[in-house]
Amino acid sequence: MRLSDLLEFAWRVLRCSLPRTLLILLAMGIGVAAVVLVTALGEGARLYVANQFGSLGSNLVIVLPGRSETAGAMPGVLIGKTPRDLTLEDALALKRSHAIRRFAPLIIGAGEVRAGARSRETPVLGSTAELAEIRHMDMAQGRFLPEGDPRHSQPVCVLGTKVASELFGTRAALGEWVRIGDRRFRVIGIMAKQGESLGSNTDELVIVPLAAAQALFNTESLFRVLVEAKSRERIADAKADVEEIIRARHEGERDVTVITQDAVLATFDRILNALTLTVASIAAISLAVAGILIMNVMLIAVTQRRREIGLLKALGATGRQIRLAFFTEAMLLASGGAVAGLAAGELGRSIIAQLYPAIPFQAPWWALAAAPATALFTAVLFTVAPARRAAMLDPVQALSRR
Amino acid sequence: MRYADFISFTYTSLRAQRLRSVLTALGIAVGIAAVILLTSIGEGLHRFVIAEFTQFGTNIITVSPGRVQTHGASLGAVNTVRPLSIDDALALRRAPYVQLSDPLVQGNAEVVHGGKSRRVTLYGVGADFARAVQMRVASGEFLPPDDPRGARAFVVLGSKVARELFGADNPLGSRIRAGGERYRVIGVMQSKGQVLGFDLDDTVFIPVGRALEMFNRESLQEIHVVYEPTAPLSEVEAGIKRILGARHGAEDFTVTPQQKMLEVFGTVLDAITFAVAAIGGISLVVGGVGILTILTIAVAERTSEIGLLRAIGATRRGILSLFLGEAALLAVLGGTAGLALGWGGALALHFVLPALPVHTPWLYALLAELLALAVGLAAGVMPARRAALLDPLEAMRSE
Repeated sequence: MRLSDLLEFAWRVLRCSLPRTLLILLAMGIGVAAVVLVTALGEGARLYVANQFGSLGSNLVIVLPGRSETAGAMPGVLIGKTPRDLTLEDALALKRSHAIRRFAPLIIGAGEVRAGARSRETPVLGSTAELAEIRHMDMAQGRFLPEGDPRHSQPVCVLGTKVASELFGTRAALGEWVRIGDRRFRVIGIMAKQGESLGSNTDELVIVPLAAAQALFNTESLFRVLVEAKSRERIADAKADVEEIIRARHEGERDVTVITQDAVLATFDRILNALTLTVASIAAISLAVAGILIMNVMLIAVTQRRREIGLLKALGATGRQIRLAFFTEAMLLASGGAVAGLAAGELGRSIIAQLYPAIPFQAPWWALAAAPATALFTAVLFTVAPARRAAMLDPVQALSRR
Repeated sequence: MRYADFISFTYTSLRAQRLRSVLTALGIAVGIAAVILLTSIGEGLHRFVIAEFTQFGTNIITVSPGRVQTHGASLGAVNTVRPLSIDDALALRRAPYVQLSDPLVQGNAEVVHGGKSRRVTLYGVGADFARAVQMRVASGEFLPPDDPRGARAFVVLGSKVARELFGADNPLGSRIRAGGERYRVIGVMQSKGQVLGFDLDDTVFIPVGRALEMFNRESLQEIHVVYEPTAPLSEVEAGIKRILGARHGAEDFTVTPQQKMLEVFGTVLDAITFAVAAIGGISLVVGGVGILTILTIAVAERTSEIGLLRAIGATRRGILSLFLGEAALLAVLGGTAGLALGWGGALALHFVLPALPVHTPWLYALLAELLALAVGLAAGVMPARRAALLDPLEAMRSE
């Protein structure tokens, strides 16, 4: 039988029992759509996290005090103290490295900010002027912390939008004085609205010069040092330099942890990819159920079309050709279902994307390929038994029995 | 039609097409099995997390400095303009229903003994710490109840630290250096293993006052307060807030009861379990479509039979309920098989991977079974209606 004949034969069979065909298409479509939609959600979450990391700055190397010899705990959540502090002098020594473009030491803590009679507990961040460039911060009004020797500080501060609006309402905050703890600071800038980014919200932040934060929290110890490498290729050099410089300053003891942004991002990437894959395979179970349905319907078809098959065989069709006819039918069903499912999945994706514009929902290419492929594969797999049964029919018996 | 006739009729029609019925029920069974298996894993995980937390006792309240919460932990634990002092911890013992309160500061330090060194997590704690979090000492004793502001230089080792530094030797009584200061080992803790990513055996415990000096800071990270298990939580919380508020002049601290944290974790895990079960439930829907398809075919095949039944006096209602009954029976049979399959799968999984906690929530199982029945009935409605609306004369002639 020629291919076009085969296709036409299968097409007619499917057309003749339209309700049945449509129902199988529905079942296959649900399965494919589920896989596409679920992977789109997972991939969207992954891209979202990647974007968020990108907005933290590029080519970042993060230095934090303390080191643990047992892996397991995420290094990012290390908040304990160490006997030998990571100090401002350590950070300034990093200037020696050629691989480092700029760096910003950080001290963070909780503080009470007051303006007039209003007060508010906010995170207070001590840093230097370089922070704005490293973290790509934009100013809504005024300017960021002034350049200069980080050992000395001017009594100035930069407010997040939310802090500014809660302390000053609609009044202009620029140039006003606020009290943080027991010190006074003049507001010289207000940051542009940035919103939530990986759990830290710059809208609720107050930034003061590093030396002021040291005095405020009565500590020499830095919370982190953000280091920006000169280029992507030099991140590894920068990391090695940081480790070497600080080890030399700390009497040969390695008591800091240096992590690169890429390493953290890769970890997140792996976790989210594994999650997407798991959820997609759970959704793919429904494809197996659809496969069972195809098998069931094909078995019924073999019984119902016994006379027809007998006639075909009597006319000289081989068992191989009969099998091929059934497989063609299954493939047509599966690909129809896959197309319907892809369309439905795309529709669902665009609806969700409308609802949450911030997250780039996008089904990954592997899911778009794997879902129809799985549909086709299950369809063929589950047609093996019915097709065999049809091919084994004895034409004489099939034609003689009513 | 009599009830017994109804049942035997449905049963016979399913038996007559045994392969077909089995395959249709299998569709439902796979769906139910997926749902049961996934919820079992989810529920097992839930219990695991709760067990991890409650091994420190459930009647604990954590007090930490600062008020704003980010990352789920108070930033005040890092730096704060409103420190919590050891005296605050001592004062909290006077709060109503409070059994003990224990100051804590955590950090990272190097411990050295006889040429071996290791970087470990160092906890500065009071004498009641072991009791507060229900940890036991394997040998020796825990830190003695000295005045926490001027405690003697004693250290208690976690089991892993003791093994790494001392090997098979008895560490009790020997001196080690921790963070550059000399301490005498007076105890070794029992192994506790990893708890939510933190290795509790890779730790050393020293008196809190000394730890604050070592880290050169003035504020505690948190204070653990243990209250009487039967006491009303809100009153305990209010008592703590009253005492600390009076000492600080303002409420510049955060009080987090362990139970609240458990509730948050529970809600999150339940939501995840539900979402995953719902994705698994998609296959149940597909199974429902399977029932719909097969019944549609059955109605077409059995047109003349339906006509005969109507001709000898079966009502439309009777025919409708016959087909609905068939659909429901298929779904329930499939559901039961899926229940057994899912449960067996969960047990097998637990057998293969003992580390993976598995627990089948029977409420979910019952719900899944009911869901299967509902899916079956919903799928049966259309074909059953078609069968019931057949004209008996036309139907009988179709043969």
